[in-house]
Amino acid sequence: MSASPVIDSNSADLALADSEQIPADSILSVQNVSKKFCRNLKKSYIYGLRDIFSEVVGAGRKSDQLRNQEFWAVKDVSLNVKRGESIGLVGVNGSGKSTLLRMLSGLMKADTGRIVARGKIAALIALGAGFNPLLSGRENVFINMAIFGFSRAQIADCFDEVVNFAEIWEAIDSPVRTYSSGMRARLGFACAIFTQPDILLLDEVLAVGDAMFRAKCYRQLAKMREQGTSFFLVSHNANAVLNLCNTAVFLEKGRMIMYDTAEAVISRYEEALLDYKADANRGAAAAAVATGSNQVDTELSIEKVSFIDDAGEPIAALASGQSASVCINCTVREPIENAIVIVMIRELNSGTECVLNLSSERDKKALPLAIGQQEIRLQLPYCGLSPNLYVMKVTVARRPFYVFDMVESFRFEVKKSKNMNQCQFYQPRKWQLQ
Amino acid sequence: MIRPPVPKLPVHETIYTPESRIRSPKRLLREMAADLWRSRELAWRLLTRDIRSQYRSSFLGTAWAIVPAAVTAGGLAFASSAGVINVGETDIPYPAFVMLGTILWQTFLEAFRGPEKAIKASRSMLSRVKFPYEAIILSQLGQILFDLLLKLILLVILFVVFSVSISWKIVLAPVAFTSLIMLGMGFGLFLVPINHLVQDISRSMELLLLVWFFLTPVIYPVPTQPLFAALVRLNPVTPLLITAREMMTTGVVSEPVAFGLVSLGAIAALFAGWLIFRLSIPFLVERIS
Repeated sequence: MSASPVIDSNSADLALADSEQIPADSILSVQNVSKKFCRNLKKSYIYGLRDIFSEVVGAGRKSDQLRNQEFWAVKDVSLNVKRGESIGLVGVNGSGKSTLLRMLSGLMKADTGRIVARGKIAALIALGAGFNPLLSGRENVFINMAIFGFSRAQIADCFDEVVNFAEIWEAIDSPVRTYSSGMRARLGFACAIFTQPDILLLDEVLAVGDAMFRAKCYRQLAKMREQGTSFFLVSHNANAVLNLCNTAVFLEKGRMIMYDTAEAVISRYEEALLDYKADANRGAAAAAVATGSNQVDTELSIEKVSFIDDAGEPIAALASGQSASVCINCTVREPIENAIVIVMIRELNSGTECVLNLSSERDKKALPLAIGQQEIRLQLPYCGLSPNLYVMKVTVARRPFYVFDMVESFRFEVKKSKNMNQCQFYQPRKWQLQ
Repeated sequence: MIRPPVPKLPVHETIYTPESRIRSPKRLLREMAADLWRSRELAWRLLTRDIRSQYRSSFLGTAWAIVPAAVTAGGLAFASSAGVINVGETDIPYPAFVMLGTILWQTFLEAFRGPEKAIKASRSMLSRVKFPYEAIILSQLGQILFDLLLKLILLVILFVVFSVSISWKIVLAPVAFTSLIMLGMGFGLFLVPINHLVQDISRSMELLLLVWFFLTPVIYPVPTQPLFAALVRLNPVTPLLITAREMMTTGVVSEPVAFGLVSLGAIAALFAGWLIFRLSIPFLVERIS
């Protein structure tokens, strides 16, 4: 993999580059692009009218300066995507990802800078834009693909493939109104990807649909990538970015704070998400104690979450295959008949799927809590987790569902204690010769 | 990773900059022509989509194209025959006269409102997909022509019933219709930015159109009272409307010069409107999505 980190958004002050300065193998080049928005609705309309007026009479609209109540939604973003390579775009909500994508697809005009795209761009900002619910799936495929610029003959050629991919043969002649949202998403996705773009802009569209469909989409995207399609992927799913993209950009409040290989950016993004301290490296775990919200006006509050070994001594980390207990210390202010404790664990650097979801309720263990300091212990005879960094979420609740308190993200490490090569989890075992 | 051995270089290069596109007029004109050509297939698809869904979701279907004109004309004809309103002498029987006038005015009105309607209807598409925006206007134009055709069928029936004699100049009537639609569409496109960014304007539009209707000889022949006549004559729709009517009935074109001038003006208005529409869409997308 040949990642080309053109880091340094500080060099963005360079004058606009000429076309000759864009590398020949570049398929998408973004140079110092910015976009401003106005928070005040009425003002934004007035600015809009003024901008349209200057656009029509050809006067400069001084778009590089902020007017009253405006802010930069995207500021000085520069990046370069080579032919056949893909780029991921991560950032929390409101960091300007969608705005950048809309500028790249030509829906909005940038306020500074320049975008040069070589080849056919298709933007998948929403699945099934332009679907008419009254018309049949078949008619909508023809309309939707025509919107993407396909001619009738071209659509007829790939129609079977589209329907095959969307798996809706039995419903293709029913009105789209009768489709489930998953069917609509499948059809919309199929329409867009079979238009064979050189650059496909994807804005979080795969967040809908079930796991099966998502997996299928990612397989299809991987196939397209092998055939040389470039992706510009906006996603919260770290795995998707890692699998599809060579490089990635981390946006924060419209500014590009990191532009590097996908791996580097994703790990920085995950760290930022968890408010991870700057000097932390992958090996070191944070303090093996998490404190609760320390609220005082509720029936119960979690004071502390920690690990202890069999001897009751506090330990900093778990180790695969060894026993330990999770201690949850609470202050109980009103007697609770049956508390439910839920412990959810997921890997630190991969998406949102959890690896363990343990619940005292599902384990049919009643936990009556009296007033005072209480310690709930979850004993793990063997820690089955493989060596890695994890995040634990601890919730104490009751039925009908009401959350007393929770610890959102307790980061911890599972250390290596035995040979775990090529093992996904620790399997307690014995070898015997009969 | 499998890479295609020799990546083919695409011919198409797209460049987006913040500069006003009007500064490079040659390229702008080339793009406008190219997009107009590119949009034809999509426009047709959108048109058939809209017509089909109208037809499917209502029992009367396309009959709705003629109902408003028929009701207006019917009501006015009844009022006139009852002597409630007196509009003076008309060249052809009043019901046919008012029907023809209403059809012409409505065609103008639909053309005028077309762009706004088109943008409102394809709001979600505009903010999500980049496509030749001309398509939604062309498809709106198709809808207007389709409705006009249906209304003309009704008109033919009415003409037969009242045995209205027609002139050979009726073959020239499409020219007048075209001018009427171009003028309406030009104005409509011109107002696209204001209509979508200033609520007050789009609200006062109804009022404006009502005044405009009374200043157009739709339900009455060209008036003789001096002040009113002057106002009516200042109205650019007047020469187009009366010429269309004359071409279809008497064959005597009373104001050929005014018709020619306004027709030329309509072409200019349409082009200017198209330009404004095209340039303002990216700014609208920011604010309507």
